[in-house]
Amino acid sequence: MVELVVNGGSHTLEAPVGRSLAETLRDGLGLTGTKIGCNEGHCGACTVLVDGVPTLSCITLVHTVEGRNVTTIEGLRDHPLVDSFVRADALQCGFCTPGQIVSASALVEANPEPTREQIRHGMAGNLCRCGAYPKIEEAIATWQG
Amino acid sequence: MARLIRTEKEVEGRYEEVWLVVEEDALDQWPSGPGDIVGRAAPRITGRQRARGEARYTADVQLPGMLHTAVLRSPHAYARVKSIDLTRALEAPGVRAAIGPDALHVLVDEAGYPGVAVAAVAADTFDEARDAVALIEVDWELLDPVLDPEDAVSRGQLLIDPRRYERGDTERGFAEADIVVEAEYRTQTVLHNSMETHQTICEWQGDRLDVYISTQFIWGVRDEVAEELGMPPDKVRVVCEFMGGGFGSKNGAGDHTFIAAELAKRAGRPVRCALTRREENQASGNRNATIQRLKAGARSDGTLVALSGEFVNAVGWSGWTATTEGPMQMLYACDNVQTVTYGAKINTPPMRAFRAPGFVEGTFGLECLLDELAAKLDLDPLEVRRLNHAHAGDDRPYSSKNLMECYKRAEPHWERRHDARARSEGPWKRGVGLASQIWYGGGGPPSYAWVRLGSDGRATVITAMQDIGTGTATAMTQIAAEELGLPLDRIDFVLGDSARGPYASISAGSSTIPSMGPAVRAAAADAGRQIIEIAAQRYDKEQRILSLKNGHVTSSDGGSWPLAEVVGLLEDAQILGKGARGPNPAGMQVLTFGVQVVEVSVDTETGEVQVDRVAAIHDVGRVINPLGASSQVEGGIIQGIGHTLSEERLLDPQTGTILTQSLDHYKLPTIADTPPEIVTELLDIPDEHLTNLGSKGLGEPPIIPTAAAIANAIRDATGADVRSLPISREEMLRALREARERAGEKVAAPAS
Amino acid sequence: MQLQRPETPEAAAAALGSGSVALAGGTELVPLLRNGLVRAETLIAIRDAVPRGIDGTRIGAGTTLAELEADPQIPQALREACSLAASPQLRTMGTIGGNLLQATRCWYWRLDFPCYLHGGERCHARQGEHREHAIFGNERCASAHPSDIAATLLALGATLRTTQRELTVPDLYRLPTDDNRKVTTIEPDELILELDVPKPEASTYLKAMDRRQFAFPMVGVAAARSGHSVRLALAGVAPIPWALGSPDDLDEATPLTGTAYKVEIARTLVRRAVEAVS
Ligand SMILES: Cc1cc2nc3c(=O)[nH]c(=O)nc-3n(C[C@H](O)[C@H](O)[C@H](O)COP(=O)(O)OP(=O)(O)OC[C@H]3O[C@@H](n4cnc5c(N)ncnc54)[C@H](O)[C@@H]3O)c2cc1C
Ligand code: SF4
Ligand code: FES
Ligand code: FES
Repeated sequence: MVELVVNGGSHTLEAPVGRSLAETLRDGLGLTGTKIGCNEGHCGACTVLVDGVPTLSCITLVHTVEGRNVTTIEGLRDHPLVDSFVRADALQCGFCTPGQIVSASALVEANPEPTREQIRHGMAGNLCRCGAYPKIEEAIATWQG
Repeated sequence: MARLIRTEKEVEGRYEEVWLVVEEDALDQWPSGPGDIVGRAAPRITGRQRARGEARYTADVQLPGMLHTAVLRSPHAYARVKSIDLTRALEAPGVRAAIGPDALHVLVDEAGYPGVAVAAVAADTFDEARDAVALIEVDWELLDPVLDPEDAVSRGQLLIDPRRYERGDTERGFAEADIVVEAEYRTQTVLHNSMETHQTICEWQGDRLDVYISTQFIWGVRDEVAEELGMPPDKVRVVCEFMGGGFGSKNGAGDHTFIAAELAKRAGRPVRCALTRREENQASGNRNATIQRLKAGARSDGTLVALSGEFVNAVGWSGWTATTEGPMQMLYACDNVQTVTYGAKINTPPMRAFRAPGFVEGTFGLECLLDELAAKLDLDPLEVRRLNHAHAGDDRPYSSKNLMECYKRAEPHWERRHDARARSEGPWKRGVGLASQIWYGGGGPPSYAWVRLGSDGRATVITAMQDIGTGTATAMTQIAAEELGLPLDRIDFVLGDSARGPYASISAGSSTIPSMGPAVRAAAADAGRQIIEIAAQRYDKEQRILSLKNGHVTSSDGGSWPLAEVVGLLEDAQILGKGARGPNPAGMQVLTFGVQVVEVSVDTETGEVQVDRVAAIHDVGRVINPLGASSQVEGGIIQGIGHTLSEERLLDPQTGTILTQSLDHYKLPTIADTPPEIVTELLDIPDEHLTNLGSKGLGEPPIIPTAAAIANAIRDATGADVRSLPISREEMLRALREARERAGEKVAAPAS
Repeated sequence: MQLQRPETPEAAAAALGSGSVALAGGTELVPLLRNGLVRAETLIAIRDAVPRGIDGTRIGAGTTLAELEADPQIPQALREACSLAASPQLRTMGTIGGNLLQATRCWYWRLDFPCYLHGGERCHARQGEHREHAIFGNERCASAHPSDIAATLLALGATLRTTQRELTVPDLYRLPTDDNRKVTTIEPDELILELDVPKPEASTYLKAMDRRQFAFPMVGVAAARSGHSVRLALAGVAPIPWALGSPDDLDEATPLTGTAYKVEIARTLVRRAVEAVS
């Protein structure tokens, strides 16, 4: 049994040691906003926040986050970044987008006015095969409207 | 009226003659330039759903009782299954069904490439399925793989007869040339790597089959599955509402779909078959490598007098031989052209279409060769391109071509090269290069759409197409909104389900907008005509003075009534509009054109190449959504940069094992690799011959010239000729060394 | 599989060995477990057992790369190495202790070819595809050490404290030999607790990679100057972090056909790094 705090709510779930946080969120809690692109730490699609820190949920064992605060895209649905991504057309297929927004939310939390260079540095772990990057940069640079 | 015609159909550069039933396209095109909605920036209609993680992709579909599949794939490049035993797998915990080569034709007992599917297991969880696959016992007979495409060609191991083309007399052309340049170019194998891997869920409902699939072609999947399973096509329902990228790799149903269907049948449960990232990078297709031996002859003023090319496509164990030779045949006016193309059959995974297959590779070779020629003649590369501009196609006229205008618009970007070079500093050399683009993108019939309008004055557009991330659903909504004179937020767009709408085109070959757009407009116009008929009777006006605008029916003699009022009296009655894509202009070539100008910096000591700026100027007819269009252009360029600089599938030369299965080894571009500036300029000149819209497709054109433009910019910056992709550090340093040696020879020559 | 969460180094060390493996950020270990390259009956989560944080020259082994990247007390070279390593998410998850003990990225090893480093007869990379591989120390195994951080600590002259001993960076690594294929000297029940990283007068880390971020080092060069002496160390060039006595030592490189280009890059980066710290 693991006890998880996700987007402010507590959940108790059955899970063998070795089960990833991503799998648990998606299959156990139905929070399918968190995507799996590679399942081995190489793409960033599965990014969630653990105690506010961007974390790859595909290579995080669910038992290691017991009692810590997990925030997924479902917990960030009203974040201004959602609107700025849509406004800037910072998504194409959208499969990487939840991960991008989760990463970006931590970036702007730490630094509300990041420079272009800081955005490129802070977002380098979120691959986008559609190549929405220029507009992702734009969306983050203009997230405050 | 429906009409039966015999016409040529083009998909990804391949033509076939077909009979088609088409409907007349009766509408006049809108005037050029932005309308109220079309031609103006619109954010994606499903953007919020996607951004908030609410959009349900195939990967997110969870059906009650659903099982998961693991596939046993050949670890060998070439081997025969002597025997296979599924007994232990079938007995493993959680397993509900297991199948091998005797159960399904996509499961093979002769493995022609590493990663081909041999057997599959469905179990309650993926982990159980994977553990069970490990228990399958296979006795392999190992065979000698052929991995080198040149080796395959010399052995005559080809997938098609060598494809030969000749116009004029190249031998004479070269004899008459003042200068002849010759070079060998190589392009590597690259992998699509859509973020959502290939996946399908199959669920049987009696004798009907529901297929949830990440696909670029709902109707193609329906037909393929129906044919394979011997079912009436409409017993197969195909669903794809949100799709996580395809780039050509998801045009067909794929082995995994047939595996899921068979396992679902046996287990009596819904079955998901999803590829892992590593399987994706073995078994879901690739842009094949090419070897291109090219030759160009020109007069001293730069006029091309002869072009010839020998192209080897490393196609793989199966697949088709893309037209790598296409750009050489089509891009320039040259009387004497000769090409031969070999499709090498080797023990590697089959190619699949990848964003302008053939033309990306062929443009790299041709456009680099042209710059090498210009350099030898000391001519301006842009001028050489203008000089050799093809004014008409070989025998058929272009429906529209504004490449000269693209060149004109390229001038200010091209002029920056003097400044750029001057900004070279120490080991960092800067330069500018350009390359032209030619490609298809006209789409074609059939495609259909319906429009439904209720008494609340809202319209729903229905068609069973897919939006693969290109923003076509948004563009369709804009087209319907423009035609109906309705604001965007009063239109709903329903797509993604073959049971909920009419036939729609494949989203490949830059064809969705040119194929679907005219059908959507026709359907909206059909509904609009009915609204006007009703309004004319209700307000006692002549139909011809009524029009639809801003959510109102407006009369040119002054009256204006909100649409909701006009149709309010419908109550439960509905206005139903229906539209079809008309034929392509007879006897004409419908093509897209463009040019890209790229600025690079090269660290001549470490071989590092940075792309600083790209200006992309394309002629794709009318632009529906400039915002979405610029995203397409940027995305194409960024994929092009990956192709040019960092991506390469690598094989173990002995066993053929794919070494770059994971994304740490297969290097996709990151946000940091994106040029700081990408300028998109679309001419936005409607093609007056093409449909009621005059729009062509834009998905593929932007990736075509990028590699050559980068290579040409590198030559401008450093004098080095890079002829092999990717331009890794190793290749860059090699080319620089070669250039230094050449320069050394030149300097040394007078002294000796 | 089991998971334990000891709260002291002693308890953690006692739980380790015989089927138990230490789990820090898991960025390396979790994929290895999933791919069967490491087997464990029990995972010992050491987050609460190993020191974390920076105090002057002392760094807890549980400190993340992101924390190091951001801390002004940390020598320039180490901050640069951290900032150029992996991706933002991996840096917030990955610890410096785990980074030093990461396994090779050699594709043959990761795909479980029965190669020399896995205990087999031969190195598949030497005759195979080896563009990412070594130019030094590559006679038996030609893998390239993936850690930017390890090379930097080598140049900085860092020392480590474990549950069993104090050691230098060179003591931590070894080239694999016929009777022992390991590339580190850490015992299965030994934990790295802390590092001591002396402050040089000047230091820098330069990195060539296949893309501009989020790639392992093709060649990484760390340089640290104290007084007139400049210490150099390289990442991505040998199966272990490689100390370079002087720039001329690059003449001693033994590149494979596919790795010769790395020597050329190393020469430039070494020259630039020396210039930068002088
Ligand atoms: C995709 C990717 C890209 C990367 N790119 C780079 C790069 O460019 N440059 C670079 O330098 N690194 C890179 N890394 C490596 C990354 O920095 C390490 O994976 C990370 O730092 C490891 O730390 P961890 O805490 O996650 O270790 P874990 O995965 O938890 O452990 C790794 C190993 O160390 C052992 N271990 C951990 N802590 C201790 C300890 N205190 N004492 C004893 N044993 C311990 C574990 O048992 C395990 O064997 C990359 C990793 C990935 C996955
Ligand atoms: S380089 Fe080392 S790890 Fe790679 S194949 Fe050779 S022995 Fe194995
Ligand atoms: S899915 Fe987690 S990093 Fe790719
Ligand atoms: S939008 Fe498709 S992968 Fe990023």
